[in-house]
Formats: sequence, structure tokens, C-alpha cells
Amino acid sequence: MNTLYIDTHSNKIIINLFRDKKVFIKKEIETNNNHSITIMPILVEALNEAKIDVNDLNEIIVVNGPGSFTGVRLGVTIAKTLAYVLNIPIKTMSSLLIKAVSFTHEDVNIIEKEKNGVFIGTFNKNNELIGEYTYLRNSEYLPSEKDILDVQLDYEKIIRFTDNIRCINSHAVNPIYIKQIEVQK
Amino acid sequence: MKDIYILGIESSCDETSMAIVRNGNIVESFTVLSQMDTHASYGGVVPEIASRMHTENITMVLEETLKKSSIKLKDIDAIAVTYAPGLLGSLLVGVEFAKTLSLIYKKPLIAVNHTIGHIYANAINNKLTFPLIALVVSGGHTDLILMNDDYKFEILGSTLDDAIGECYDKVARVLGLPYPGGPNIDKMARMGSPTYDLPKPVNDNTYNFSFSGLKSHIINLVHNENQRGNIIRKEDLAKSFENTAIDELTRKVELALNKVEVKELIVAGGVSANKHLREEMEKVAKKHNIAYSIPDFKYCTDNAAMIAAAAYPLFLKKEFADFSLNAKSQSSILEDF
Repeated sequence: MNTLYIDTHSNKIIINLFRDKKVFIKKEIETNNNHSITIMPILVEALNEAKIDVNDLNEIIVVNGPGSFTGVRLGVTIAKTLAYVLNIPIKTMSSLLIKAVSFTHEDVNIIEKEKNGVFIGTFNKNNELIGEYTYLRNSEYLPSEKDILDVQLDYEKIIRFTDNIRCINSHAVNPIYIKQIEVQK
Repeated sequence: MKDIYILGIESSCDETSMAIVRNGNIVESFTVLSQMDTHASYGGVVPEIASRMHTENITMVLEETLKKSSIKLKDIDAIAVTYAPGLLGSLLVGVEFAKTLSLIYKKPLIAVNHTIGHIYANAINNKLTFPLIALVVSGGHTDLILMNDDYKFEILGSTLDDAIGECYDKVARVLGLPYPGGPNIDKMARMGSPTYDLPKPVNDNTYNFSFSGLKSHIINLVHNENQRGNIIRKEDLAKSFENTAIDELTRKVELALNKVEVKELIVAGGVSANKHLREEMEKVAKKHNIAYSIPDFKYCTDNAAMIAAAAYPLFLKKEFADFSLNAKSQSSILEDF
């Protein structure tokens, strides 16, 4: 059972391969807004190191944002194309959920920083989202003691959590942007 | 020789398109998903929304394209994608999609320049006869290009300011016509007479064009008439504008044909869908007794069939891209070759 995990929501590109739900290959590369040059070569490197063909993938997990619009879009485009063409299951996790499931907590606000503001998601101890994701500009953001910014990601916990997530039709896999763009306001 | 099938992918602006083309000139399957209605509500293409819609729709456009043909993805010989010029975010979606297909099927990836794609729209159901002169007219281009062979380009002249398509859009806006402006002016001009006296663009003997003077003149004319409370005869102004602009294109094409000996005249780019331009260029080619080609309407606007057609000569020369291929918002057709 080979699971491909793609996370391109920030300037850190993460491509992992899990074998039978255990971390097998871990790739983490910093990029300077050069997602396009970097993602596919890293994916190929990961497959080569694992000595598997892309056709041997059984499942895909993709982090679908929020984060860098372009970064997320490219990771999601690659992931949904792989899932559609290879006809394998695909699941999405948000950039906030992967943090929430990586540690034990009561009700908590997971914070994802970006250049001009923060994305916020409140999760209960079962990692269920309470309310909706929001975006606040730096000037609007008032930190609270429930806020958690930095979380060491635990990939074994993340991959185990995906057992609770339902697969979606690959056509319907899309980024979540949260932040509105000018013309939509 | 074995038939070569190329899958073309185009996402440089607000159309998600794919096509399967055999031997660079027979279209086996063709899909264009336009986002025009969405962008029309904003008065023009919003780049971020365009990129989002490409990601939303791209696998469905592939499914639709495969449904229309008996050719399977595994039978495809190469994956061709527009990598420049265009909206960066939109181009990137197509480029990463193309890389993914190339990875799965282990088929070469071919990077195609969008402008060259427009020129090769004339290779569909046709064979280009070299040397030829290509008039490329779109929202970003007004170029006269000499081609001595496949991918051998020499730019004879270009616009010094606005592209013809850009000029059409701005004139449409001042006349209060909805987006997209070009086709709407063309329609309106059909109902008018050329009664307005407009200044001729650069009247020199180079192959260069200039449309900003004409554009400014019309904008000023409309403002002045509005201020005086006079009514603009929009149909007549549209007709006068179109006549002046197309006369200028015709004059420069004739100038080139008189000096450079070629076997064919081709017209390419979004503005080649303009009916008046199509008629005038056909007359010019007839007069000079050379072959003439202009794409079918469906291959004039942005589409993937032209990308697959333009990829065919690169396939034969084995000019392939690798997985570090990046998109570029700007690129001259001379830059890459």
C-alpha cells in the first residue's frame, strides 16, 4: 500500500511516501516561490528512492490550503490529475488540520501565518473543526492563549487520521483559499 | 511512417482547452472550456479567478477530450503544453498538469510558445508552404513575420505601441460595448458606414504598426462629443475605426509582399476571427497570386489544437522539455529558438 502525500501550501514543499501507513520517504525542500520548477523533480526523486513507479501508487493525500495560492493550486492540480488518471482514491487535509492532528489538545486555535495576516481554525480535542476557517489581516489579529502557531508535524498521526476522512471524486478536489481577492470584495 | 498523436494543453488565459492532433494537422478530438461569462461580470479577465477555474476544470476537460476520441492516453506520443506567454498562474496549472501526464505515461513533454501556436493553427487541415509571411494579430501582438521553414522566424515588423486587439478592446470600452470588445465592434461595424474621418496610423515605409494615435483620437472624439451633448453614431464610428485599422494592416502586408518573395500569406491570432480582416487579407493574397491561409473560427481564439500542431515539428526534432519546465508570462518567439 503506497500513499503519496503532497503539501505545497507554503514555501516548504513536502513530498512523502508512506508504505502501509508508515513514513517511507520524506522530502522537504525550501523554495523561493519556485513551486513549478521544484515540485515534479522532487516527486520523481521520491519515487526513485522508493524504487516504485508512479503507477504503483495506491492512494493520495493532498494538503489543499489555505496558504500560498499558487503553491496550493499546483500541488492540488498534480494530486487530482494523478488520482483521476491512475483511478485511485484521493483525500484532502487543510494546512490547519495537519497541525491539529499532530498533537494532543483540548479546544485550540490553530494559526497559519502568511505575509500579511493569519489563517485561523478552531478544533476540539477530536480534531473536529468548530465553526469555519477565517483569515485576519495582521492588524485585525488579536492573539489569544488558545492560539498555537508552531507545531511539529507528526506524519504517522496525520496518516492515521486520514482513515477518518472520506475520499472525494478527483474532479471535485480543489484548493481552499479562505482569503478573498480584491474583485470579490 | 507511423501516425504521431500529440495531446495539446492550453491554459494561458481564460480558456481551458485540450486536443488530440494526429501528425500535426488532423484534429481527432477538441475541447475548449471558456470562462468568458465569469470574467465578463468583472469587465475583463481576473488572473487569480482564471487560475482557480483552470484547476477546478482541468481533469474534466481531459475526460471530455478523451470521450470524443478512440485514442487512449497510453496511445499518445507526446504531451504538449503552452508555457509562455500569458497569465503566469494560469499557465502554471497547464504546465504542472502536463508534467503529471508525462510522468504517468513516460511520454515526452513539449513546451510550446502560445504565439507560435497561433501561427500553427494554420497547419491544421493544411500544409504550410515556405517561405511565408505571417500576420499575427491579437490582444498582445501585431507582428509581421517571415518564416523560411518550420520554426525559422524573422520578425519584419511589430506594433510600436498598442496591439491591434488591445486597441479594439479600448475602443469598445469607450463606445460602451461589453467585454470582449473585439467581436462586439466587428458586429456593430457591420451595421455602420465609415462616415468619421480618422487619422491614418504611421504612414511610413517600415513594416511597423502603431495604433495608439488612432485609439486616443477616438477616445477624445467620444469625450468631446459627449461634452457638447452630441450623439455619437456608434455603428458609424465602429465602422470608421475598423476600416482605418484594417487598412493599415493591409497596407503593411502589401508592402511586405511587394518586397519579399513568398509562397503563402497566413493570418493568425485572436483578431483573425474578424470578418472584415479575413475578407481583406484574402483579396491581398489573390492579388499577389500566392496561397492564403487563415484558421477556422474555432482555431482563431485560444485553443489546444494549435498547441499540438505547433508541437509536431518539435517532436520530429526531439526538442523536449524536462520536469523543471517553468511558465513565463512574457516570451518572444525568437527567444527560444
